[in-house]
Amino acid sequence: MRIEYYLPEKIFSNADLESEFPDWNAAKVEEKVGIRERHIVGPNETALDLALKASEKLLAAEDRKQVDFLILCTQSPDYFLPTSACLLQDRLNLKKQCGALDFNLGCSGFIYGLALSKGLLLAGIAKKILLVTAETYSRHMHREDRANRSIFGDGAAATLLDPEDARKTGEFELGTDGSGWRNLIVEAGAMKRKFDPELKQEQDENGNFSSPNYLYMNGPEIFNFTIENVPAMISKVLEKNHCSIEDIRYFIPHQANKYMLEYLRKKMKIPAEKYHNNILLSGNTVSSTIPIGLKDCMDSGTIQPGDKILLAGFGVGYSWGAVVMEINFQAKETGKI
Amino acid sequence: MQKKEFIEKFKEALEITKSTIDENTPLKSIDGFDSMSVMAIIALVDELFSKRLTAKQLAEVSNIKNLMELIGSENFTS
Repeated sequence: MRIEYYLPEKIFSNADLESEFPDWNAAKVEEKVGIRERHIVGPNETALDLALKASEKLLAAEDRKQVDFLILCTQSPDYFLPTSACLLQDRLNLKKQCGALDFNLGCSGFIYGLALSKGLLLAGIAKKILLVTAETYSRHMHREDRANRSIFGDGAAATLLDPEDARKTGEFELGTDGSGWRNLIVEAGAMKRKFDPELKQEQDENGNFSSPNYLYMNGPEIFNFTIENVPAMISKVLEKNHCSIEDIRYFIPHQANKYMLEYLRKKMKIPAEKYHNNILLSGNTVSSTIPIGLKDCMDSGTIQPGDKILLAGFGVGYSWGAVVMEINFQAKETGKI
Repeated sequence: MQKKEFIEKFKEALEITKSTIDENTPLKSIDGFDSMSVMAIIALVDELFSKRLTAKQLAEVSNIKNLMELIGSENFTS
């Protein structure tokens, strides 16, 4: 498994937040939410552009003609059609004998991408998969929505997977609860409801900005959803993989926000030194938080080749998924596999 | 749990140091009360009583007295 990621150049810091919203406590954002900076796309930059940059970074040291399947996870495609992964195949100059598809998930996206990849690889349908997660929630948020603009950052991650990775990927625990659909949504702009520039913004009972044209998130409801489902998911995935918390070398949950993650950690009694909780300089990049965290841990030596790790994604949908795997990569300095 | 004790834990969870609050203090009047405070309340109630309160239920809560009633008065002693 090899991972590279790309965050767009423009940085939106807590200092920027405070100058735009003088009554918004940006210091509290760093302290509670754990974010100091997010990267934001420029006006003409899309998730596909980020996907391209992350993929180019990854494929620079590879024979890209070996890629025979491309999977792109995004909720911000360039067009309704054609499929953005098809555009990406062309821009990356991958061979034409290559499958390509988009799938629409957010925070659970990387886990589902791994699940799809494991299936394709073990069935012999693909031999080298390029799995890309790319998101630009900044394009969905209203200028005035200081709360969500504090949290979300744009970014993309590209991961290369082969049959060896699939063999070392354990069992998955996946779940869905569509009854939570309203709590994290961009209502207008797709097929159900037209984007209407006349629609006014409102605030819900918690002061969250609410406009059908833009991203709406009910933080407390999402928090409830995670408390309800994440610890149970972790227990089940450990059980399915016949291991306990002690057997897992490192946990990488979707990096939603520091407060929520810390609460979940304590609830699940996972030691802090085994638990990733760091989005200080990237913000919540949705489907890329897990591969970004994984890459950073691989580079820093926090995770070593062969370590048993647990990855867990959860959020918009509601959708969730977790997996235990024996991480298969080449460590930087020693070249140890 | 004693009501007094709960109020103390409430203050701790929401990091209220400046003002004195009692069970009748309107929550919205608390300095800096925002959606993170709502999350802190959800976490507190889950931790202490293993009870899950929805955002909608909490929107109807105007003070700690209401909150204790929502959690269930049987959980508290004066």
